[in-house]
Amino acid sequence: MKKTTFFALNLLAAFFCVATAFAADLPQKIVIGHPEALSGAQAKAGEQAVGGIKAVIKWVNTVQGGVKVGEKKIPLDYKYYDCESKREAVTSLLERLITVDKVNFIMAPYSSSLTLAGAPVAEKYGILYMDHGGASDKIFTQGFKFIVQTIGLGTRYHVGTLNMLKKKDPASKRLALAYKDDEFGRSVMEGAEAHAKKLGYDIVFKRTYPPTVNDLTPLLSELKASRPDIVLGGGHLADGQLFTQQMADLGIQTKAFSLIAAVTLPAFQNALKEKADGVMGPSHWELGVTYTKEKAQKAGQAWIGPSQDEFVKLFKEAIGKDLRPEYHAAEAGAAVLSLVLGIEKANSLDSGKVRAALGKITFMSFYGAWGIDETGQQVGHDLIDAQWQGDKLVIVWPEEGATGSLLYPKPAFK
Amino acid sequence: MILEQLAGNLFQGVVLGTVYGMATMGLSLIFGVLKVVNVGHGAFIMVGAFTSFAVFEYLGLSPVFAVPVAFGIGMALGMIFYYSAIRRLLKGPELASLLATFSFGVILEEAVKQLFTSDFRGFNWDLGKIDMGFTVLPYAKVVACLGSIIVALLLYLWFNRTRAGMAMRSVVEDSVGARVCGVNVDWEYALSFSLGIGLTVASGVLLTMFISVGIHPYMGGEYTLKAFVIAVLGGLASPYGAFFGGLVFGLLENGSYVFFAQIQGLEPFAMTRFFSFLILLLILLLRPTGLLKAK
Amino acid sequence: MKGASRYLPAIPVLLAYAALFGYGLIFPGQWQLVAQLAFYCALGQAFNLFMGMTGYVDFGYVAFLGIGTYGMAISISGLADKGLGLGVIVIGLILSVVFAVLLSLAVGAVALRLRGAYFAIATIGVNEGFRYLVEGARIWNGSEGIIFSRQLRDAVGQEAAMALSTFWADVMVFGVAVIATVLTIVYMRGKIGYALAALRMDEDAAKVMGINVTRFKIIAFITSAALAGALGATAWAVKLTYVFPADVFAIHYTVEAIIIVLLGGAGTLLGPIVGGLIYGVSKYYLAVYIPGFQLLVFAPVIIVVIVMFPEGTVGMIKRKCAGTAFAKYIL
Repeated sequence: MKKTTFFALNLLAAFFCVATAFAADLPQKIVIGHPEALSGAQAKAGEQAVGGIKAVIKWVNTVQGGVKVGEKKIPLDYKYYDCESKREAVTSLLERLITVDKVNFIMAPYSSSLTLAGAPVAEKYGILYMDHGGASDKIFTQGFKFIVQTIGLGTRYHVGTLNMLKKKDPASKRLALAYKDDEFGRSVMEGAEAHAKKLGYDIVFKRTYPPTVNDLTPLLSELKASRPDIVLGGGHLADGQLFTQQMADLGIQTKAFSLIAAVTLPAFQNALKEKADGVMGPSHWELGVTYTKEKAQKAGQAWIGPSQDEFVKLFKEAIGKDLRPEYHAAEAGAAVLSLVLGIEKANSLDSGKVRAALGKITFMSFYGAWGIDETGQQVGHDLIDAQWQGDKLVIVWPEEGATGSLLYPKPAFK
Repeated sequence: MILEQLAGNLFQGVVLGTVYGMATMGLSLIFGVLKVVNVGHGAFIMVGAFTSFAVFEYLGLSPVFAVPVAFGIGMALGMIFYYSAIRRLLKGPELASLLATFSFGVILEEAVKQLFTSDFRGFNWDLGKIDMGFTVLPYAKVVACLGSIIVALLLYLWFNRTRAGMAMRSVVEDSVGARVCGVNVDWEYALSFSLGIGLTVASGVLLTMFISVGIHPYMGGEYTLKAFVIAVLGGLASPYGAFFGGLVFGLLENGSYVFFAQIQGLEPFAMTRFFSFLILLLILLLRPTGLLKAK
Repeated sequence: MKGASRYLPAIPVLLAYAALFGYGLIFPGQWQLVAQLAFYCALGQAFNLFMGMTGYVDFGYVAFLGIGTYGMAISISGLADKGLGLGVIVIGLILSVVFAVLLSLAVGAVALRLRGAYFAIATIGVNEGFRYLVEGARIWNGSEGIIFSRQLRDAVGQEAAMALSTFWADVMVFGVAVIATVLTIVYMRGKIGYALAALRMDEDAAKVMGINVTRFKIIAFITSAALAGALGATAWAVKLTYVFPADVFAIHYTVEAIIIVLLGGAGTLLGPIVGGLIYGVSKYYLAVYIPGFQLLVFAPVIIVVIVMFPEGTVGMIKRKCAGTAFAKYIL
């Protein structure tokens, strides 16, 4: 070979090496992996979460053009599997996502139990593990370094409710607590009890019921006998519906009635019709909350993501049905937004750097405020309380975000 | 005060118990005739619950009309499942038929999930209620209770007064002898199985008259467990036993709540569940053929 | 059959486990899948020890896994600050097995007098009853369960804790599977195996012949339960580092055990591992390729398999290989 050709070829080869090495630093896509539960007990929440994630990813890719890393804007991609709400499937699917699909970040499966199941594996691979459906505070006392929470803590669910009621009617002090006996229900009850005592409430009734209950009559008869002014309780949708219906059946009239996780879902009112009138519930997000770019700017917060209407539209497209997004979808979507901001701030796809960056940012989105503490727990986001008034869900608390005023006392069951 | 609560609970327990009992009759019938334990029992109740919901929501008719519809659906499902699988498994190990019935349950759950999504449905069938002083009873529950009693009576009449029913009983007593008498044993098995499933699905409708919310594809599991306890209480092979077992169960569960509520540091509701399973074990230990005298 | 050749059938099984283990070590990123498969195989093997030999279906089997999980959980969370290091794991294993054995004695006292469907239902009763007792009387924190990641870390250090949860727990699961296999063949080839085979054919006839049916039933039952306890301690407690009663008393694990044993062939030695692999691998790929629809596909397949192959895969292989040189390796 002639000397010059040899030299040119070497130069070309070197150039390619450098070029590919440089390009190899930044992948074509940022992949989010998700071992979600699409069948089994968590199916509904999982389905919603997947829809919410798809909606936000679409927004990021089309409106923002991708995530800004260095000079490039890299689009997001999404890979998810069905762990069937089973813990043992979570670990194997999680590892597959990490090692075979080579995802960059992970969204945890819905529910505290499933989130915990995957945590050791995520920790081992040092990959960021976004918790959007696990409200247990204990997740954050275990010393995991890569878990970032977007949903709020269970213990805070009824705190705002009690504040609202105390303000409205400080004289009515008789409080009944009746929660589902599972991790979530118990943590809400714990928080509610502690806060109620601080506010000077009289706890006249405190019971839990098993998760798979189909008749609450014995418990509710006992509750009726304690003549409470306010009833707080619940667990999830099925028992929430049952609770309300049987309260109505037994004719238990109270001044206020608030259940967790069930009331604000459209299925609740669809099933109960007039019986839902006046029933309240705390939530992390409902259609109708008034978080906007303007509000964020006024509060001096960064804003990212679609507006509420845009989110709803993208969600329906992603799911392929005319289904309303519920809070599960919003939580998951907001988690993706936080991830985007974290990557951009860290200017890197390394989980450790992104996690550190997430610890320093706060922002607002269609979901509301967001900010974590050093253990990864969500401390920035506030819950809202919503109440059914007729067939409309009205946000009644906090006052700054309210779309209507509280109907108090609650209209009687007929 | 406690006595009033106890009285109220016991009363509600009896009313609920009739529905539970009727829901278990199918299970006992299938076991009595075919010696097959229908582990997918709860899923069939779920199908009945969805039938009731669909009839109310999409046809605007009261759940009473859903009962015969559900029964028909149940008989059809029963025939399909019998001829596709159960028939071939009757001579095999019990394990096989257990697993087969369980798989049927899973198929139903998933199919319903695809059709209706995993969302929780419900409807409002309000007929008003009676205030009885120590407790309040909605009329819908009364209808459910009466419905269960009527179905149980009809079953009794069928078994004892019709040729078809007697043919079925003959198969239980002596299948070889029945064959000799010209009874088509295979057809009787198919019929019994379908009848059992039909009863179970229909009971799902009655159950929604009692509790018309919380209807979702995976609601059945809880009912399967309860049904086992009730079936054993009444004697595993006797449908009438199941009915009375249901009554006893309703009384025990609700009555024991008041008792457990008096003890500090316990969760009365979970304890009533524990109590019902304890009774199950005691019965199995002392009187495995159930509380009633042998049929 | 005399001498060591009686134990030849153990070889294919142990080889299969070794191959699975090796596959997990050699190929990166497959270990969690291998761990899940090992769990299914161990579950099947332990379950089969009682069910295969006696034909009784213990529908409440998961209770032993559950109580085993608690045994380990209590050890780790209670003894974390006593400076015992890995000793908490050893103590946990001992506790798990002891708890499982105690529970099995209680269950056995009631249930083993019963047969067929009554036995099955009695065992369900124990499982559910025990679970509601734990929740209702708030034993071991009741429904809030025990989360002990932190305590495990405190007891053995960060590195060791991670290694335990993501690797060594699964190695222990393999251990349980191997022990279960060895015990199964020892029983099957021993007096207890013949006695239980007689029982399976005709329990009354066996009794009339003077075989102490009850004693052997109890031995098999306790062994099977002890293995389940160890499995719960390792696959659930050490691996996942948390326990909620709703999770660990869930009846679907018993159903999975039944499916695995049936797919492989009830009462065979090789059956559980074959069944566990078929079950685990199919589930995994169905979850990957048709998320949300797997059960709709899987459940009818199970029905087809039960109807067409009631003796399971290994049962069929045994039949085909009867009289050939392979026969002495397949049990």
